[in-house]
Amino acid sequence: MNTLLLSHELLVLALGLLVLLADLWLPRGLRRHLGYAAAAGLAGILLFSFLAIRVAPGEVQYAFFEMYALDGLALFFKRFSLLAALMVLLMSVEFAESMPTGVSEYYALTLFALLGMLLASSANDFALLFVSLELITITFYVLASFHRSRMTSLEAGVKYLIIGALSTGFTVYGIALVYGLTGKLNFNELAAVSSSLGGNRLFLFGMVLILAGLGFKIAAVPFQIWAPDVYQGAPVPTTAFLAVGSKAAGFVLLLRVLFVAVPEVSFQWGSLLIVLSAITILYGNLCAIPQRNLKRLLGYSSIAHAGYLLLGIAALSRDGQSAVLYYLGGYLFTLLGAFTVLCLVMRQVESEDIASLAGLGQRSPLLAATLTLAMVSLAGLPPLAGFVGKFLLLKSVIAQAPAQPGYYGLAFVAIAGVVISLYYYFGVIRAIYWSRTAPDLSPIQPSAPIRAALYACIAGMFYLGLFPGTLVNLTEEVVKVLR
Amino acid sequence: MKLEILPWLILFLPLVAAGWITLFTLRNQKLSVGLSIGAVVTGFVLSVLFVAVNPLTPAPQELSLNWLSIGEFQVQFGLRLDPLSLLMMLVVTGVAGVIHIYSWGYMRGDRGISRYFACLSLFTFSMLGIVLANNFLQLFIFWELVGVSSYLLIGFWYEKPAAADAGKKAFITNRLGDFGFILGILTVWAALGSLNFGVLAEKLGANREALGGAATLAGLLIFCGAVGKSAQFPLHVWLPDAMEGPTPVSALIHAATMVAAGVYMLCRVFFLLNAGALEIIAWIGGFTALISALMAIQQNDIKRILAYSTLSQLGYMVMAVGLHGPTPAMFHLTTHAFFKALLFLGAGSVIIACHHEQDIWKMGGLGRKMPVTFWTFLAGTLALAGVWPLSGFFSKDAILAEAFERHHYALFALGVMVALLTTFYMFRLVFVVFFRPARAEPAGHAVESPQVMLWPLRILATLSIVGGVISLDHYYRLQFEPAAVGAALSWTAQLTHPFAHAPVPAAFGLAAALAGFACAWLLYRRADVDPLPARLGPVARAMRDRFYFDELYQATVIRAHDFIATIADWADRWLIAGLVVRGTHGTTELIGRALRLVQTGNLQTYAFLFALGVAFVLWWVLG
Repeated sequence: MNTLLLSHELLVLALGLLVLLADLWLPRGLRRHLGYAAAAGLAGILLFSFLAIRVAPGEVQYAFFEMYALDGLALFFKRFSLLAALMVLLMSVEFAESMPTGVSEYYALTLFALLGMLLASSANDFALLFVSLELITITFYVLASFHRSRMTSLEAGVKYLIIGALSTGFTVYGIALVYGLTGKLNFNELAAVSSSLGGNRLFLFGMVLILAGLGFKIAAVPFQIWAPDVYQGAPVPTTAFLAVGSKAAGFVLLLRVLFVAVPEVSFQWGSLLIVLSAITILYGNLCAIPQRNLKRLLGYSSIAHAGYLLLGIAALSRDGQSAVLYYLGGYLFTLLGAFTVLCLVMRQVESEDIASLAGLGQRSPLLAATLTLAMVSLAGLPPLAGFVGKFLLLKSVIAQAPAQPGYYGLAFVAIAGVVISLYYYFGVIRAIYWSRTAPDLSPIQPSAPIRAALYACIAGMFYLGLFPGTLVNLTEEVVKVLR
Repeated sequence: MKLEILPWLILFLPLVAAGWITLFTLRNQKLSVGLSIGAVVTGFVLSVLFVAVNPLTPAPQELSLNWLSIGEFQVQFGLRLDPLSLLMMLVVTGVAGVIHIYSWGYMRGDRGISRYFACLSLFTFSMLGIVLANNFLQLFIFWELVGVSSYLLIGFWYEKPAAADAGKKAFITNRLGDFGFILGILTVWAALGSLNFGVLAEKLGANREALGGAATLAGLLIFCGAVGKSAQFPLHVWLPDAMEGPTPVSALIHAATMVAAGVYMLCRVFFLLNAGALEIIAWIGGFTALISALMAIQQNDIKRILAYSTLSQLGYMVMAVGLHGPTPAMFHLTTHAFFKALLFLGAGSVIIACHHEQDIWKMGGLGRKMPVTFWTFLAGTLALAGVWPLSGFFSKDAILAEAFERHHYALFALGVMVALLTTFYMFRLVFVVFFRPARAEPAGHAVESPQVMLWPLRILATLSIVGGVISLDHYYRLQFEPAAVGAALSWTAQLTHPFAHAPVPAAFGLAAALAGFACAWLLYRRADVDPLPARLGPVARAMRDRFYFDELYQATVIRAHDFIATIADWADRWLIAGLVVRGTHGTTELIGRALRLVQTGNLQTYAFLFALGVAFVLWWVLG
């Protein structure tokens, strides 16, 4: 077996262990800066990935008896997760001050969650799917409750743990049913037999349970119930990683299960996906309106975005799948930019209320600009990444509409959702620049790595919004491994 | 095509300067000024270099980039390089460079000087964008961008209500024209399926009737754009008010370049215009030229006189286009850019010397005190009056000759009349401002302006003097009549060419200039108050009050607009905001709050709802 196939995972694992070990030898004061070392390590791995790992278009390389697949899609998500983890680590260093102990564990756990995401990108078998999913979820239980002194953080961890365990129960039961019926766990082998199983109720029962587990990961209705509480209670870097990395891992698994393992079945589920996507968009956006807590607001907004991403899956087409990838790309820069700003602001004021943003425009123009741009991009206005992403998703949905008029309804709901979302996103912008009273006007000085990360986020939002060509070509290329 | 990178650099340098100044160097005035001037002067040097290595030929070249491509939907960003755009590029960067330098002196000490130069750079970028655009969409985007920069610069002293109002007036008046313009662009697109100038020209070349019945309409709608931007009747009212901006802005934007963009655009799409549309264009141009020349006679503000003169000359150019003569139109546009920029800068020098006094009757005797300003201003005046052998004579004569050769004697007579009026009001200005003793205190202490303002005057004066004999018309003819073009004439031959080629218009032009000068000499040589109101009475008052166009618009268009606005306001307040928005907002908010109740925070409820969700999906799939 070619170990190069697994190089991302091995390197990240090694980095995680190194961080744990280094914690033993480093003096207390330096431990906080271990985050920079870890981030630099990830940057190195990312560089290595771009230089050394090549996958020919359409080619799939397998390992472990086809359990593990390395193709363009996997590589896209691996690099995506690496980039997300890198920025989350930079954010964690800023956040580390407020953590009493165990900063290095926080970094190491982030890396192990990343490992789970890397494995999930390549999962081509229900066994690996389950293992990677659990690796992500279990590390997040700890990451969510890392603020041991804060009740909200502990509560978030426990809620995530229990609902997560429930969803795992459903998933593993579903896998057992599918295995019992077919004797197969591998996606390629399942694909060969799934066409004849479209009418088998037991098989469908199993598949629905598996999807419930994935629905939990991406926080789509009706499996979204945990998201707002956990987003609100968890430490900011955890929330950010949950919103970007964990969600993306859910989507890559969803794409593989739906379009590699059981494509014939998925194509029957158009109307179900339309309904779920529409409800998710409306639920997320409507619930976000009355929110005053920023993290909770972003939690609901993240449900809404899961709904938008489901548009691309519901379209059941190559264009839809590639649009999902594009949207995630823009979402990465946008959301991480926003969370980095929140992390810096909340470190200073202990409040998470929107009002705590008052006067940010004067306290730090860079932070204010980043958050404003992120809100505009999340709302999906040109010329930022969010606009192109939503445009591509809607385009893929409308292209399917002549065959199934329900897609017109879905497109309408999506646009209505965008309009509703303008209200609360611009509420945030208004708080930044037009608050009547600003209690605290002391300037905020972000550190150099954070500044670089913010500039990168801004550049990413603009680049993907103005020059969509490169990434569109890439995503169209990598989804060719899907059906 | 060699050095293809240069046009891109020339275009984007000012944008980089504008962006950089706005983002980083607003507080460092010297650096901001340097960046802005550096960008445009470099642009000029590069333009010269580019034209030097790529001699002008009739064959157009295009450089284009794929700006956006999503599926089959493609947007091109392209530059069209032909004699027309290259010469215009030289004129814009050259004149803009000179005026940038002058501004450095003129605006010295102003708190907002960095902002001023950022806007000026933005304008230069936008103007170059119009000049180089290879398709209608791009042209329109830059067209709006010059509108924005013009708005920003007219209202530069935004603390003055008059300046802020003038900015708004210019912007809104232009909207009216641009609305027609975009309709015209859409008409062309609908009929021909392309917006690229080269493709359009090819399609129309292959089939003259390709536009069918929409030809005249499309032509006139596109002309609407020029009516707004080049301030033609009936949208001419914004330009005089735009003089509230700093004087160098008036020189660059509201005399030499932006207002000429309408004429440039008409020449660029000349192939689209049919005889029917051209006839109307010619008359509108001619009419504008005449009424604004009449208005100019009774103005007392030095900048306003020049503004009406600009209107009148723009009318001349538009008339030339309408007479099937893009070559004389562009020729006059170019020489006009030289001498009108010169006159405005000269006026700026006078205004600064008189401590921002703009009323000509409070000046006087400045000829002695400000010799450089006086002599260069005189050169500009003679050029504008069309006195042989200065540049204005040749370009104006080309327009008159065009009318004469087409046997359009009515417009020919109108042109001669306007030429007479032009000389008259310009010498009225010169006599009142520069001769006789000073009539008010500030003018008595006037001193010559600093060298940084005088050198631009000298450069522009040189160009105004020799502009007629440097083969400009020859190069423009390469663009519009490549078949008829011969070898370039020597400058001596060019000097006498009008008399040999078309003696009648030349003679009429000179006679008109002479007659205008004679009238001005008789009336204003010794005047300390304006003698005309006493002699002409209500006619003079009507001229002074601009034939009551503003009042007319106030009474009709604006009144009607206010009426509609009142109704719309009512509908907006009660129907839309009240019923629709409040209603929707209320319902949405209510649902939001209701849904929030689901989120109890109770773990058992959550687990129950989760299981309920699974049951729902199972029911959907299996049920």
